[in-house]
Amino acid sequence: MNLTRDDLIQSDATMNQMRNMVYHLERFMKLNEVSEIRENLRRMGRNIARTYIKYWKPIDIVKKDNLNDVITTIYKKILNSSVSVDFNEINKIVTVKDNDCPLCKYHFNDIDVAGCEIIAAMLSEIITCLNKGKSSLILEPLDILESRTFGHKSCIQSFKYREGGV
Amino acid sequence: MGAVQWLLKKITKVFGRNTTSLYYVLLYREILKEINDITKDEEDSIIILREIGKKAATESCERHTAVFKWMPGSPKKVIEYFELLWVVVFGKELEEGDLTYEELPKEGSKYNDYIVKIKSCPLCAGYGVDDEDTFKFQKVNSKNSEGLACGLTGMLENVANFILKIKRNDYRISIVEQKCLAKGDEHLQFICKIYDSLEWKEFSSVRIQDKIKSGVKFEESIEEDVIQETKLDIIDKLQEVLSLDKIEELLDEPLEGIKRKVAEIIEDKLNMEPSHFFDYFKNYEDDLLRIIGYLAVHLLNEYGGLIEKTLKNNTFAKIAGYLFKQLREFVLLFIPIDVINDYHQLLISFLDGLAPAEMVENVRQFSGKDDINFLFEGAQMALENLGIDFSELKDNVWEEIRKERENGLLSSDQSMMEKTEENIPKIIKIMQEILMLLSDILTLPIRVLISESHYGLKTAINSVVSEEEGLFGSIKDRIDTIFDYVQELKQ
Repeated sequence: MNLTRDDLIQSDATMNQMRNMVYHLERFMKLNEVSEIRENLRRMGRNIARTYIKYWKPIDIVKKDNLNDVITTIYKKILNSSVSVDFNEINKIVTVKDNDCPLCKYHFNDIDVAGCEIIAAMLSEIITCLNKGKSSLILEPLDILESRTFGHKSCIQSFKYREGGV
Repeated sequence: MGAVQWLLKKITKVFGRNTTSLYYVLLYREILKEINDITKDEEDSIIILREIGKKAATESCERHTAVFKWMPGSPKKVIEYFELLWVVVFGKELEEGDLTYEELPKEGSKYNDYIVKIKSCPLCAGYGVDDEDTFKFQKVNSKNSEGLACGLTGMLENVANFILKIKRNDYRISIVEQKCLAKGDEHLQFICKIYDSLEWKEFSSVRIQDKIKSGVKFEESIEEDVIQETKLDIIDKLQEVLSLDKIEELLDEPLEGIKRKVAEIIEDKLNMEPSHFFDYFKNYEDDLLRIIGYLAVHLLNEYGGLIEKTLKNNTFAKIAGYLFKQLREFVLLFIPIDVINDYHQLLISFLDGLAPAEMVENVRQFSGKDDINFLFEGAQMALENLGIDFSELKDNVWEEIRKERENGLLSSDQSMMEKTEENIPKIIKIMQEILMLLSDILTLPIRVLISESHYGLKTAINSVVSEEEGLFGSIKDRIDTIFDYVQELKQ
C-alpha cells in the first residue's frame, strides 16, 4: 500500500543531508544570479506551511494569549526543536531562540541567508492559514537576528505581531 | 540482518537530527521547485537536484568519516546494505518487505547489476494532491530521466562510493532511479551498476553542463581521493563472530577467558592486533559506553519487542520514563561508590592489554559514576527511540499528576511551573520531602547488603577463578564423575 502524507506525520526523517542541500541550493541560486534569495527561501517556507496545515494543525485559532504555546508546539511537533519564546509587548515583537535548529548547524562563510528563513516563514504562514478569515492575530517574519550558519551559538528569529488581523 | 548492521541502523538514526518526515519531504519538494524556477526546464531540474543531493551527501560523509569505516568494503556488500544506506541518507526505516533485490547477471564482469525495488516511496507519498505540488512530472519525458527521488538517489550513490573510497576499493557504484511513483510507475526502482576504476572514470567524465539544455550554471564536483590510514575491512569479518549467541558464549566465561577469546577472535578473524582493533574506539570511550547502554535496552526489547509494545501506550511510556529517571538517580544512591568503582576497575582490567595504552588511560580518567552515567545516557537514547518522550516528562511525578491543560498545547511559559508549584498544597511538598528523607535513610541497610553480597561474591569468584583446585575445579571434577557414571550405566 502506498504511503500518504498523513503517514509521514507519524514518522521522523534525518535532516543532516537535507540541511546541506538547502545551502547547495543557495549556492546554485547565487551562481545563477538570483537576486532575492531570502525571499525565495521564505516562499519555500510558506509553501511548506500551506501543505503541512492540511495534515496537521496545532489549534483552530491563534490569539495573543496562546501565541507562545502555539509557537512552542509548532517547533516541537514539526521540527522536534525545543525553543524559548520572548515577547516585547511595547514593540510587538516576538523572538524565538532555537539552540538546535534543524536547518542551521555549521558556519558557512559563503552563505548570506540563513536556512532558518524557511522556518520563520513557515511559522508565520501556519498562523496566517489558521487565522484566515478570522479577525485575529498576524505574525510577520522580521529578521534572523542570529544563526549558527553565521557562526552564532543558536538561531534567533524575530517576528512582528499584529492583533486584530486583516 | 546482522546484529552489527541492525546496530548501525539504530545508531545512525538515533544520533541524527530528526524532524517529521512530512517536513523533510515538503522541503525536498520546495528545493526541486526552486531549482526549476531557475532552469525553467523540468528535466534539467531533475539533473541538478541529483547533483545537489550528491554534494550534500559527500559533505555529510566527510564530516563523519569514522562512521563509514564500519561499513563493508566490497561493492556487492554495499548494495546488500542498501537498507542501511537508505537509513543513513533518509533516516527513516523501511517497512518489513518494502525492499526487494533482483540480481541481473552481467557476463564478462566481476559483479552483476542489481535492481532494487522499494514498494512505497516516502518522497512520492501523496505527491500531486496538494496545490503546492506544482512541479510537473508530465514534462519529464526523456527515457533516461529520473523521477522525484533523483536527489535521494544522488545521495545514496555518493554515500555508497564514499564508503568504497575510504575502504580503498577501486570499484564504484552508479545508482539510477528507474521508476518513480510520481511519474506514474507502480513503485520506486533503482538500478545499481558496479564499475571498475577505468569504466567509472569514463562514466563520470560527462560534465553536468553538457547534460543540461537550459544553460544554467552549475559548479561541478571534483572527485578527490580520500587520504586514509590503512584500515582493514573489519565489519564483514566481525559479523561472522558478533552474533548474539557468540556474545552470550563470551559472557559466560570469566574475565581472563573473555580477554583471551576476544584477542583470539580479533587476531584470527580480522587479522589484526587487538590494540589496532580497539584503536577505532580511541577518544570515543564515552560513546562506546553509551552504545553499550543503548544496545542493552534494544537487546532486552529483542525478546518479543515487549518494551516497544508497552511503550506504545502513552501512559505506560510516561510511567516507564519516570521509573527510568528514578532508577538513574537511585543507582548512585543505593549502590555504594566502592562497588561502582570495582566494576569500573573491572572494565579497565578488561581493556588493559587488549586496547592501546592511551585508550586504557582515557577510561581510567573516568570515574565509576561516569561509566554509570554514560550507560544510562545510552539507555535513555534507546528508550526515546522505543517511544518514551523524555522531553515531555516533568521534573517530578507530582507535576504529572496535576491536570493537563485542556487545549493540548505545550506550555512554554517558564514561570508557569513556578506558579503551579506555589499552588501545590504545602502538605504534598512536606510529604515529598519526608519520603525523600526516608529513602535516604533506607539506602543505608541496602548499601550494607549490596556491599556484603558484592564483597562476598568477589571473594568467592576470586577463589573460584584463581585456583584450579578451588570451587570451579571441584564442580568440574564432580560433573566429570557424574558423566563417567552415566557412561557406565549406558554400557
